[in-house]
Amino acid sequence: MMTPNDTSNPPLASPLSLIAELTHRCPLHCLYCSNPIEMQRAEDELSTEDWKRVFQQAAQLGVLHLHLTGGEPLARKDLPELITAARDAGLYVNMITSGVGMTEDRLSTLVEAGLEHLQLSFQDLDETSANHIAGTRAHAIKLALVPVLKRFRLAFTVNLVVHRMNLDRLEDFIALAEDLGPDRLEIAHVQYYGWALKNRSLLMPTEEQVHRSLPIVEAAKERLKGKIHLESVFPDYFGSFPKACVGGWGRQMMLIDPIGQALPCHSAAVIPNLFFDNVRQHDLAWIWQASPAFQRFRGDAWMSETCLECPRKERDFGGCRCQAFMLTGDADAIDPVCSYSPHHELLQTLRKPSPELLPIWRGRASSEEVPVSQPCR
Amino acid sequence: MDMNSIPGLAPGCRLHPTQDVLLIPEGTLKLNGPTRDILTRLDGRRSVTAIVDDLLQGYSGANDDEVRRDVLGLLERLEQRGVVRT
Repeated sequence: MMTPNDTSNPPLASPLSLIAELTHRCPLHCLYCSNPIEMQRAEDELSTEDWKRVFQQAAQLGVLHLHLTGGEPLARKDLPELITAARDAGLYVNMITSGVGMTEDRLSTLVEAGLEHLQLSFQDLDETSANHIAGTRAHAIKLALVPVLKRFRLAFTVNLVVHRMNLDRLEDFIALAEDLGPDRLEIAHVQYYGWALKNRSLLMPTEEQVHRSLPIVEAAKERLKGKIHLESVFPDYFGSFPKACVGGWGRQMMLIDPIGQALPCHSAAVIPNLFFDNVRQHDLAWIWQASPAFQRFRGDAWMSETCLECPRKERDFGGCRCQAFMLTGDADAIDPVCSYSPHHELLQTLRKPSPELLPIWRGRASSEEVPVSQPCR
Repeated sequence: MDMNSIPGLAPGCRLHPTQDVLLIPEGTLKLNGPTRDILTRLDGRRSVTAIVDDLLQGYSGANDDEVRRDVLGLLERLEQRGVVRT
């Protein structure tokens, strides 16, 4: 396998996971949507054959886990065929769904095709609030889906997405999740990328909320041990050191967007002057090894003196490049979450409660729900 | 979990066909030492005792009690992690 240009860095390992954004069509219009502001159009999406080829190449490259996401993967009529192809290639198949559009028959087809893990997110425990956050009436649909899911042999994860509007109810929110009886429970703070950035002032929790929530999560972990595996993602705006974003740029994962562009992370498109090679023109191994977008922040050649001298670079790989760019305007800057960043005070300001703003939903022209089969614009 | 329990892998968990890892939702667990030999014997029909007996046939000179303790300990840890069920 090829090594990156910088010879001071270890040889390039294979990616472990592939995120396949099958479509940007989605029946939900979540305030915290992480998809880019400019979504890809349905007519430009990769074909079934394209995806099948990508899955085979991914498995050959060493990828173990495939995460089918979107948008809503159910919007793709060829979903069972894609799952079969991924399993035949040898990948572990996980799907992240809103549940809208799922029926027992459809689920049965997906499980038969080889689906192994399904993740269903909840926006709040109260229906009115949950629907408000999702920008559509989805909460009851999700609740009704859970007993159906449990008739099938597949791992089931409940994702609770938390932010200022629901964090004060975390204890009850966890209790709801517990009643749903998943195998896994993920409590994830909103990350302010893509559309979510538009609603940051509305969604960013207060420091006090975050600190109150930590012991609640720890207590739930302890209580649910052996019953439900709980994982939580601490909001990095409240940390002193950056997260190892996506396990390090071009180190562990790659994302293919609906039209076939290969990205090192969900939001890499915000960084100027990055060109994303497309799986229509190149195979995955070439992209992983040679695509300039993947090389851009690999290793440490791009790092500031501060980071180069810091032993933490082996752990956080320089933090998040998108966040550095979005907050400072410089993609090479030290991640401002880091207390060594000269821009760290930006975070102090963002952590302070800001005046309540009006929510901005994406692609919602009216209060009508968008059927899953229709592109959502 | 005790010696009479009948353990199986939890839904969404399976052994990688060639690599020494257990594929689980959102990750992998590295399989050390005889872990793979133990996990391949979880068929949802055999008890821990039966699994140990089967293993002992392949390990000549192994201390039976030690193997029993090790297998049960491993399965209990994996049960706590949510990847083995009884």
